[in-house]
Amino acid sequence: MRRPDWAPESIDIERPSVARMYDYYLGGSHNFAVDRKAAQALIAAIPEAPLMAQANRAFLRRSVRYLVEAGVRQFLDIGSGIPTVGNVHEIAQQAAPDARVAYVDVDPVAVAHSREILSGNDRAVVVQEDIRHPERILDHPDVRKLINFDQPVALMVVAVLHFVPDAAQPAQILKTLRAPLVPGSYLALSQATHEGRTDEEREQAIAIYQRTDSPLSYRARDEVAKFFHGFEMVEPGLVWVPEWRPDTPEGVEGAESAVYIGGVGRLT
Amino acid sequence: MNGQHGGPLAARVGYATFARAWAKSITGTSYMPVTQAELEAFLESLTVRLVDALFAEPFSLRRGYQIGADLVAAHIASAEGLGRTIEVIDLRLLRDLGLSGDDMRDRLARVLGTVAIGYARALRDRTLDEQESIRRAALVAREQAEHALRESEARFRHQATHDPLTDLPNRTLFTERLDAVFGRQGTAGRRLGLCFVDLDGFKMVNDTLGHHIGDLLLVSVAERLRRGLGTHLVARMGGDEFVILVEDTTCTDDVLKVADAALAAITEPSIVDGHELRVAASIGVVERPVEGTSPREVMRDADITLHWAKTAGKGRWALFDSDRNQRELTRYALSSAMPAALERGEFCLDYQPLVSLTDGALLGVEALVRWRHPQLGVLRPDHFIGLAEETGLIVRLGGWVLAEACRQARRWADVSPTAPFVSVNLAVPQVREPELVDQVTALLHEHSLPPDRLQLEITESAMMSTDDESVGTLRSLADLGVRVAIDDFGTGYSNLSYLSKLPVCELKVAGSFVEGLRAPAADPASLTDERILATLVSLAHTLDLTVTAEGVETANQADRLRAIGCDAAQGWHFGRPSSPSDVEALL
Repeated sequence: MRRPDWAPESIDIERPSVARMYDYYLGGSHNFAVDRKAAQALIAAIPEAPLMAQANRAFLRRSVRYLVEAGVRQFLDIGSGIPTVGNVHEIAQQAAPDARVAYVDVDPVAVAHSREILSGNDRAVVVQEDIRHPERILDHPDVRKLINFDQPVALMVVAVLHFVPDAAQPAQILKTLRAPLVPGSYLALSQATHEGRTDEEREQAIAIYQRTDSPLSYRARDEVAKFFHGFEMVEPGLVWVPEWRPDTPEGVEGAESAVYIGGVGRLT
Repeated sequence: MNGQHGGPLAARVGYATFARAWAKSITGTSYMPVTQAELEAFLESLTVRLVDALFAEPFSLRRGYQIGADLVAAHIASAEGLGRTIEVIDLRLLRDLGLSGDDMRDRLARVLGTVAIGYARALRDRTLDEQESIRRAALVAREQAEHALRESEARFRHQATHDPLTDLPNRTLFTERLDAVFGRQGTAGRRLGLCFVDLDGFKMVNDTLGHHIGDLLLVSVAERLRRGLGTHLVARMGGDEFVILVEDTTCTDDVLKVADAALAAITEPSIVDGHELRVAASIGVVERPVEGTSPREVMRDADITLHWAKTAGKGRWALFDSDRNQRELTRYALSSAMPAALERGEFCLDYQPLVSLTDGALLGVEALVRWRHPQLGVLRPDHFIGLAEETGLIVRLGGWVLAEACRQARRWADVSPTAPFVSVNLAVPQVREPELVDQVTALLHEHSLPPDRLQLEITESAMMSTDDESVGTLRSLADLGVRVAIDDFGTGYSNLSYLSKLPVCELKVAGSFVEGLRAPAADPASLTDERILATLVSLAHTLDLTVTAEGVETANQADRLRAIGCDAAQGWHFGRPSSPSDVEALL
């Protein structure tokens, strides 16, 4: 019997998950031996990897705070991963209790974990979906129930597009995601770049991620800039993530080795 | 002990300086979801508590533990975070806050010890909690995936075993279920029933109203069958064929009730797309013990029986009958063996005398075909003539009989100048063959046989169904001088009008009338038959036809026939069908 297209995939926790590897970089223990092994291999190749992950996480925090201050109360966080320390709903709801957050991730374990964390929070929801099917995300009843697309929405696409290959047309994905947004909505986006990395580091990282559930696609700054098509960049534009509205001047030290570039754009 | 230290302002500056240094030393050890200022403020509050712990009297373990735990709770939660914390406190706390005292180093060491313990415990608990929660998430995710997989498999299995149009079980599922009946333990004593259902005239619906309506009708029929037959498995085998499995029947009646219910359900009128449609069905029914049969046999027999129901007029069920099936199988075997048998010369002719009732002379002989079957022995025509008519072989077989009879007639003519004519039965298809006249002409010529040595018999019913062309053929044959007789007269409509029109010279009266003459003459029924016969003879003579009575078995019959003026007779009383040599002996 041929397995039909709609048959669900089984859970493979023997394969490293990029969501749980990221948790490990952040100092969390929501990970398994396979994840730690892969993460440690990456740290061996790029010792500052945990710092980069933290810097990216800090970018997420600062951008959410910025967006709340800008008046946004709805967040659609795609590629949310393991929503542990410093997740969007904690940051947003701390600043604005009426903020609503819809998380989306493709990793079923991350989604199950998110669901546990979010139980009892009626202003946050998680759905399991792949960013490669943006229309399914937008049409998902749970997303529709929480997010009112007549009001501004902050689209969070943080540290996820480097897991989407060019073949999956990431620019097209963003175009689809942008379509239902009203003016005053925002896009916060970061992605890993090979800029400032040696060829060796880049190749090792790609090789390590090849064995995970989501292979890596580094992109150059100008390619990442295209993802903001239709949005007006908020100061300081597309930068190394530590440089994006740092809390203190010291936070910017060594920014050029941050791997992640990111920014926030406003739909006008 | 000098309690507090320096002035309040100096103290505050000292606390802030220390907290900044502390914050800086632990930055990057793990992710902390706060700004640097928030982190410094938090650490400053901890610094105050550290100092309190330092001076607490008596010394409290709990204060240090709690500081360690609060560090972890603030996500300062890594080995590096602890190491740097101990380092910065040990190096700078006393100095930045301007603390001094004899036992200050000792006190600090004890506080650091408790902070480290509290921190390590909290980090361990946190790690275990996180491990537990991610394991739980993995478990939940796996359960959900398995559940989804099971559901999709069930869906897939359903698709694989059901007909997409009607959602009835399909052939695959039916076959599985039927096989299961046979595979089960303890089949001894168990019975099963099967109904093979085929809609009557469904093709008409498709052809006249279109396939869409046809499909809707099938859906409607399927629904009514499903509703009407309770727990019995109803499957759609394809097209307009359905099959019903009746398990554990106790007797044939059980399955016949199901067949009746199915017919009733199907014939209920249905409104399909605005059309009121009525459809009927034919059903082949099999019911038998499980032991001694097989799924394949049951299916085959139900299919055969379905065709019986169809040929019996549709809109009904037929029940499988193994005797009938055996007969049909034999017929089929005979039918298919016949052409080769004709080639191999397995057919032969016997001859039965036709005797004059006036003087007992041998007038003619009727050629009767026999099949010397290698396995079944000598077969009489009633075993195979019908089959030959069905397959069309009758024309060739009849041709052979005609030729052989002519050959034999010639031989007898050579033996005796008073040799009998040979009477040969013609089947309707032979009469319709345009070549018949040429064929007879050629045979007469070939054997130099006087035409009146040959008589051709066709039955009354055959005569009734002949067309103008066939009448022309008979006339041509009569014109050749060949005798033409009506066989089995009195069994059909006995239409008298054609007797005067057709070139007939003899009537052969059916044995059924002659049979009546066996009874005593006083018997009213017998007397009636005698009167009919007398009338027939009188009528025939009026038309200048001779009359031969068939099936004469007793001397009494012969006497009574003679008394009413019948010309000739045939039957056991005058001689059984026998071989050509036996006939020759009579000459």
